[in-house]
Amino acid sequence: MFSFYLLTVILIISLLFFLLGYNRAKNLINSNKKNLHSLTHYYGIFCSLSALLPTLGVFFIFTICDDFIFAELIKEYIPDEVINSKDYNFTIVLAQINNSVEGLVFGTPPQWVTNAAEIWKSWVIKSNILTVIVCAITILTSGFLSYKKINSEFRSRNAVEKIVMTILAVSSVIAILTTIAIIFSVVFESIRFFALIPYDEFLFGTVWNPQFEGAERAGSGQEGLSQYGAIPLFAGTFLISIIALCVSVPIGLFSAIYLSEYASSKERAFFKPLLEVLAGIPTVVYGFFAALTVAPFLRSSGSMLGLDIASESALAAGLVMGIMIIPFISSLSDDVINAVPQSLRDAGYGLGSTKNETVMKIVLPAALPGVVASIILAVSRAVGETMIVVMAAGLAANLTANPLEAVTTVTSQIVTILVGDQEFESAKTLSAFALALTLIIITLGMNFYALHVVKKYREQYE
Amino acid sequence: MNSKKNDLKSLELTVGDVFSKNARLKARNVNVFYGENKAIDNVTIDIGSREVISFIGPSGCGKSTFLRCFNRMNDTIDSCVIQGEITIDEENIYDKKIDVVPLRARIGMVFQKPNPFPKSIYDNVAYGPRIHGLSENKEHLDNIVEESLKRAGLWQEVSDRLSSPGTGLSGGQQQRLCIARAIAVSPEVILMDEPCSALDPIATAKIEELIHELGNEYSIVIVTHSMQQAARVSKRTAYFHLGKLIEVGKTKEIFTRPKHNQTEAYISGKIG
Amino acid sequence: MLCMLLKNTENNMNKKIINPEDATNIVKNSIVKRRSKDSRLKLFGRVAIGLAVCFLLFLFYSIFTKGYPGFFQYYVTLDINFDRERIDPKGDLSDNSLFDGDASAIVNESLFFIIEPKGRKEKKLAKKIVSSGKDVRIAKMVKDDPGLFGTVTKVKFALDDDIDSFLRGYIKRETPESERRISDKVIGFIDKLNEEGRISYEFSDYILSGSASGNPEMAGIKGAFIGSILTLSVCLLIAFPLGVATAVYLEEIAKKNRITEIIEVNINNLAAVPSVVFGIMGLAIFISIFGMPRSIPLVGGMVLALMTLPTIIISSRAAIRAVPPSVRDAAYGIGASKLQVIFHHVIPLAMPGMLTGTIIGMAQALGETAPLLMIGMVAFIVDIPNSVVDPGTVLPVQIFMWADFAERMFIQKTSAAIIVLLGFLIAMNALAVYLRKKLERRW
Repeated sequence: MFSFYLLTVILIISLLFFLLGYNRAKNLINSNKKNLHSLTHYYGIFCSLSALLPTLGVFFIFTICDDFIFAELIKEYIPDEVINSKDYNFTIVLAQINNSVEGLVFGTPPQWVTNAAEIWKSWVIKSNILTVIVCAITILTSGFLSYKKINSEFRSRNAVEKIVMTILAVSSVIAILTTIAIIFSVVFESIRFFALIPYDEFLFGTVWNPQFEGAERAGSGQEGLSQYGAIPLFAGTFLISIIALCVSVPIGLFSAIYLSEYASSKERAFFKPLLEVLAGIPTVVYGFFAALTVAPFLRSSGSMLGLDIASESALAAGLVMGIMIIPFISSLSDDVINAVPQSLRDAGYGLGSTKNETVMKIVLPAALPGVVASIILAVSRAVGETMIVVMAAGLAANLTANPLEAVTTVTSQIVTILVGDQEFESAKTLSAFALALTLIIITLGMNFYALHVVKKYREQYE
Repeated sequence: MNSKKNDLKSLELTVGDVFSKNARLKARNVNVFYGENKAIDNVTIDIGSREVISFIGPSGCGKSTFLRCFNRMNDTIDSCVIQGEITIDEENIYDKKIDVVPLRARIGMVFQKPNPFPKSIYDNVAYGPRIHGLSENKEHLDNIVEESLKRAGLWQEVSDRLSSPGTGLSGGQQQRLCIARAIAVSPEVILMDEPCSALDPIATAKIEELIHELGNEYSIVIVTHSMQQAARVSKRTAYFHLGKLIEVGKTKEIFTRPKHNQTEAYISGKIG
Repeated sequence: MLCMLLKNTENNMNKKIINPEDATNIVKNSIVKRRSKDSRLKLFGRVAIGLAVCFLLFLFYSIFTKGYPGFFQYYVTLDINFDRERIDPKGDLSDNSLFDGDASAIVNESLFFIIEPKGRKEKKLAKKIVSSGKDVRIAKMVKDDPGLFGTVTKVKFALDDDIDSFLRGYIKRETPESERRISDKVIGFIDKLNEEGRISYEFSDYILSGSASGNPEMAGIKGAFIGSILTLSVCLLIAFPLGVATAVYLEEIAKKNRITEIIEVNINNLAAVPSVVFGIMGLAIFISIFGMPRSIPLVGGMVLALMTLPTIIISSRAAIRAVPPSVRDAAYGIGASKLQVIFHHVIPLAMPGMLTGTIIGMAQALGETAPLLMIGMVAFIVDIPNSVVDPGTVLPVQIFMWADFAERMFIQKTSAAIIVLLGFLIAMNALAVYLRKKLERRW
């Protein structure tokens, strides 16, 4: 709440600077009897922006950094016997202290925790006061400096435009920052994981059985039970993607051919958006549908045929995922088929081809690279899809090619491992980051290749 | 009786000799509408067997539209409605019983812009015979391809690279490839829609020579912008203006002694 | 047939090309076969579209038939004696006082009066018929209208979820008692209530106004709904300005150089990153490094904002590109500066396209589940969040959690929640289509 109030005050002060700058410009016009370089409100905006921006920077640095600094400093106040004890974990201790600070007390915490919390609280107050002082100094100095700059020679519009341009440029960098953040968050933890588990065991091991280190340490002969061979996960992902493709490629491709070559414009205007609705349905709904409608249906119809289908099967998840990715294939294929120039079709029809022959022998071969790219994009979507597999494919890491059994996938393991409480140090938690890293590499690779193919294909017809 | 009367009616509009002794295609009182716009207004004309006839006229006069009526290429446009009668060997091509596929095999077409398929030269020419099942075996197909390329005057230039892509040829060669592709399905009539408008003068000269030769075996209808071209390649010429057929006659006569004052205006460059 | 024709024209073989008459015959003879092939492909196309549409309809049908009853539930009407002494012992209507009061006992007495249970065991069973939210309901009623004190009023209470399932026919009377979730005794009680005409099937007042609850009969989506709105607001406030600013910068200001190229490749790649990875990033960056709390809409909104950013940037760029250069030339021609051209002309003209893209991005964010699981919005939170820093959950995550619960009634409630979610998605997409149709200009 403190931050919120401080922010409001900062905003109000910068508004005041707007009025100051505006009035000064007005007065200049009146006293000099001559127009300034820029319109008066640019002077106001200049003042207020140059007061606001540095202050906001200072504010965010202070609010983000204080917790880190406190966390370092508080180590002084943790008794030595706690630090030296066997199951010392700084994260947990910090959480205890934080809870105590926020007044959430479970049972009776040790005396040193309460003391540390008191010290922490006093630091918070001090740091708040410091933040207020520093912010006030920044906003007033930068505001008045910019106010002083206003004279009849000053080109405020150019200055304002420079600031705005910088803001626009900075926001476009966010995309890069996000990518860096993603890579950063995944790579570092993965490196730590591979320090514990050799990468060849991860990539080529055939048993996936992660356990919390805690369970291992607890003894009772559980040591060495943890195994991090990711092959069953890749196999499960692959199996489900194949099933999904078996559903979506024929349906998507034939739909695209029909829509682009046979359908009247009215039919097209009706069916194309209808197919795209399939892509707009949230994946959690598909997951629910797969788990509660499709899987029981498969199970009962399987038992009629004498097949034993697991209640969570690769087939159910794959089928529903196939339905989900139909529009990715149909829409993209439709686009690339439409991009085939009409003159080629004319040539075909002029020679007396039927529609079938024109489509199959002229249009599709010409559009093939684009169609392939659309399928690759659909696969990358299937590989990265999470909710359907979490809800319908199960968690059993079976290494099987039988679609009637339960399998697990890379994404569903990531979710299972990372949802709920984690110990950040354990190999199990870290394994999720290694899985995420492979997931990113696979999907980005496919996406990159597909876009490359599409781009080349476009150039061919431009 | 009735049709005779209609013929006479259109004759009142068209100057010159619209009929031909050994007619292959007969168009009678053809009207074409694009939605509400009338693109072709009551045109009657015969296309003789083994003759080269050119359609000339200012742009937008409907000559291309009329050309596309002969092999029903206008079918692909939803809003296009055609009235009247076009017959080939006394069969109305707009009859409901007529299938458009064999019709187009009989009446081939070459387009304004060369449009080879993105396949090899061989496959481009072999495409038609393959889909229509015109070849008995591989050897026969090879022969058809070779003969078609020879007739199109392209054989010497491409005989050593039949498997390279057709899109890699120069513009003039591409257009001759398209002509070879049309010849390979053994058509009776070839429609050409401004076949040289995208080509340079040298390539144009080659194509014109080719059209002249092909005129001995096929009926050829050529739409062109250029009066010189019409004069060079065709025996008969038809002049269109605003969707109407103004004058038909021997090419020589049209260009030297036009009977209609609009034709004269166009020839002398007053309309254009 | 073909051979015969070819033999007839032996001399044509020498000429290598068949003569036109024979060609015509050959084509005419094979045309039926080719036409049937043609119609087969058309049929395949129709079947494919038909299948896809059938899937869609079946999905909607199955969700709707399951979810429609989820908006309703069974209630029992009891005569409640609003005795102030017992309900509000301190007499000040404060939460404390109402908590100390004994509203449940009053409800139970009223119930016992009708069904007359004998002995402690039967009474214990009978108490469970009415949902455990009965005292809260009475507390709310007297708070809203203290005038009720001293009266005897008919009040409707939700029935326990097992009873509800029984009345809906999911629990069958014929099933042997040992395999049923409710005993013969309880069935007898229900029959008695039914005879008295006290049981009614009505629009549920929990589904839309209740929050997460372990008791399916009291569970509702209000908490998740508010959570969704808060999360989406954060997402919109971050993603829209950032997306538009980036699009403007890339299209109008930046020169084509290495850096802008890298940014473009980055944006395309971000669009392909699986959503669960954004969740991992949120977990590792926002929660672990920045030390933000888990489960709060603020973090959820930030993660979703980064996820929808590519969608917004790409559609905004397309919208900006669609503004014809003549508009810019005209503005430059009368001496406007670059930024004035952008802010006075380009952005207003491109706004409908940008808004459409943003709405579609928001619809995506509204349905997204996986990244929010990662940052802990999956916690069981009963309180309805009041601000973006209160722990909360969102609709799709609520659906995910409920789908995991075993109680029969949760299936209906889940489907009902899905109907609400889909309703919102459809509304958002319809708005996008409307905007596109209404405001889009053709140049």
